Amino acid sequence: MLNKIKLWIMRKAIVYLLVLLAAAAGSCKSGGQGKDSGEIPDSVLNQGIEISEDVMQDIVQNISSPVEMAAMIKDLGVPYSNRYISPTDRVGNLTTSFQQALNLGIYAADLGYLNMNNKTSAVIDYLTSIKSLSDAIKVGQFFDFTTLKRLATNSKNLDSLMYISVHSFNEMDKYLHANNRTNLSALMVTGVWIEGLYLGTQVYKITPSQMLAERIGEQKLTLDQLMLILENYKQDKQYAKLLDDLQLLKDLFKTVNIRIEKGEPEMIEENGMLTIVQNDKSIVEISPEQLTAIIATTEQVRNSLISL
Amino acid sequence: MKKFILILAVFTFVCSDFLQAQDVSQLTAQCAANAGDVMYLKDFVVKLDQGTPGGAPPTARFALLLSKNVVYRFSICSAPNSEGEAVLQLFDMNTLLGSTFITATGKDFPFFDFKCQKTGVYHVFISFKEGKAGDGVGIMSYVKKL
Repeated sequence: MLNKIKLWIMRKAIVYLLVLLAAAAGSCKSGGQGKDSGEIPDSVLNQGIEISEDVMQDIVQNISSPVEMAAMIKDLGVPYSNRYISPTDRVGNLTTSFQQALNLGIYAADLGYLNMNNKTSAVIDYLTSIKSLSDAIKVGQFFDFTTLKRLATNSKNLDSLMYISVHSFNEMDKYLHANNRTNLSALMVTGVWIEGLYLGTQVYKITPSQMLAERIGEQKLTLDQLMLILENYKQDKQYAKLLDDLQLLKDLFKTVNIRIEKGEPEMIEENGMLTIVQNDKSIVEISPEQLTAIIATTEQVRNSLISL
Repeated sequence: MKKFILILAVFTFVCSDFLQAQDVSQLTAQCAANAGDVMYLKDFVVKLDQGTPGGAPPTARFALLLSKNVVYRFSICSAPNSEGEAVLQLFDMNTLLGSTFITATGKDFPFFDFKCQKTGVYHVFISFKEGKAGDGVGIMSYVKKL
């Protein structure tokens, strides 16, 4: 795995160098980033949102991972179904950076689910869509389509494929933060989150389990973090509409109760390996009625987002 | 001639940036591979200066959302040119849950597993022993569901 990744890093580094040189050469010519879609430009949306180092440290780094929900569902032994993922035939219709960033997150979560289930034939379509959307919002340099496509053609490359896919997503996110385009990062993360929640809730409908019910209920915490960030951009009507949609879910999650049972952590050293067992426990209290409502609203919100 | 020097300066600047990015990418990939047969989730890249004598060691802090019923692995790697050796610690509020360096025994671990039973926000702290300067990468991976 490491050799494949090293090769990928070398290739990526060369692309970075070329992009940096081209950017340096082109910076004198460009007169700004005009958009013809009526969107508020990123630079304007992010104006006044200066995040200090201290506050930055408190922003949760992994609000939503493109693979964690999929990994849990696989561990639960739930078989793969393509009914849970978003179709890729609509990428050409996504013309604003708002739509592109949001759907980039949605497809990243779908890619995680496909990779996790080793569905290499479908992976190429999703890689193509992500490449197109990441180029559109100018973070395509972090997504090595050629290497990923090559890795996807062989099921033995799954580890490298997973690593490079998730790492590329993380790099895009870091780049957007570092370049005062946090609004787009927030949208990508929202896309990942809603698609992960959709996947979890759809699986629960067919294969209910206590563990999945708890995982759905505890999304209350993630949603709070997400909305806190999106609130910064509500002056743009697209963000305001997204917040309205998410508020529908927040209202339902308000009734989910999460309580904590306290305990002392234990440290176990066995065969040279260190394991920490947490004895604090969170207990999620969520009723079948609450779950039914959350499942229905998640479906409604997610389907409205993918029909933008 | 002036133009040539300017182009050379820009090229050198760009190249140093590019070499640094390449080193970080390699260190991250290496560290993720060292974590074993687990699934990479997130990396925390740090570059810390030397601390002041008698003062607290410079520390980078990252907030994370961890989920109940999941075993996570936290790994740490120091860059080869670092003066110090990086240490990763995991905190829940003010409670230290785990560390790659156990002060009481003086033992180092390249990683530790954390059996998470409580969904919530946690913090990863990365510093260098004795407040030395250095570059390092912490990796968070998914091991399995509990």
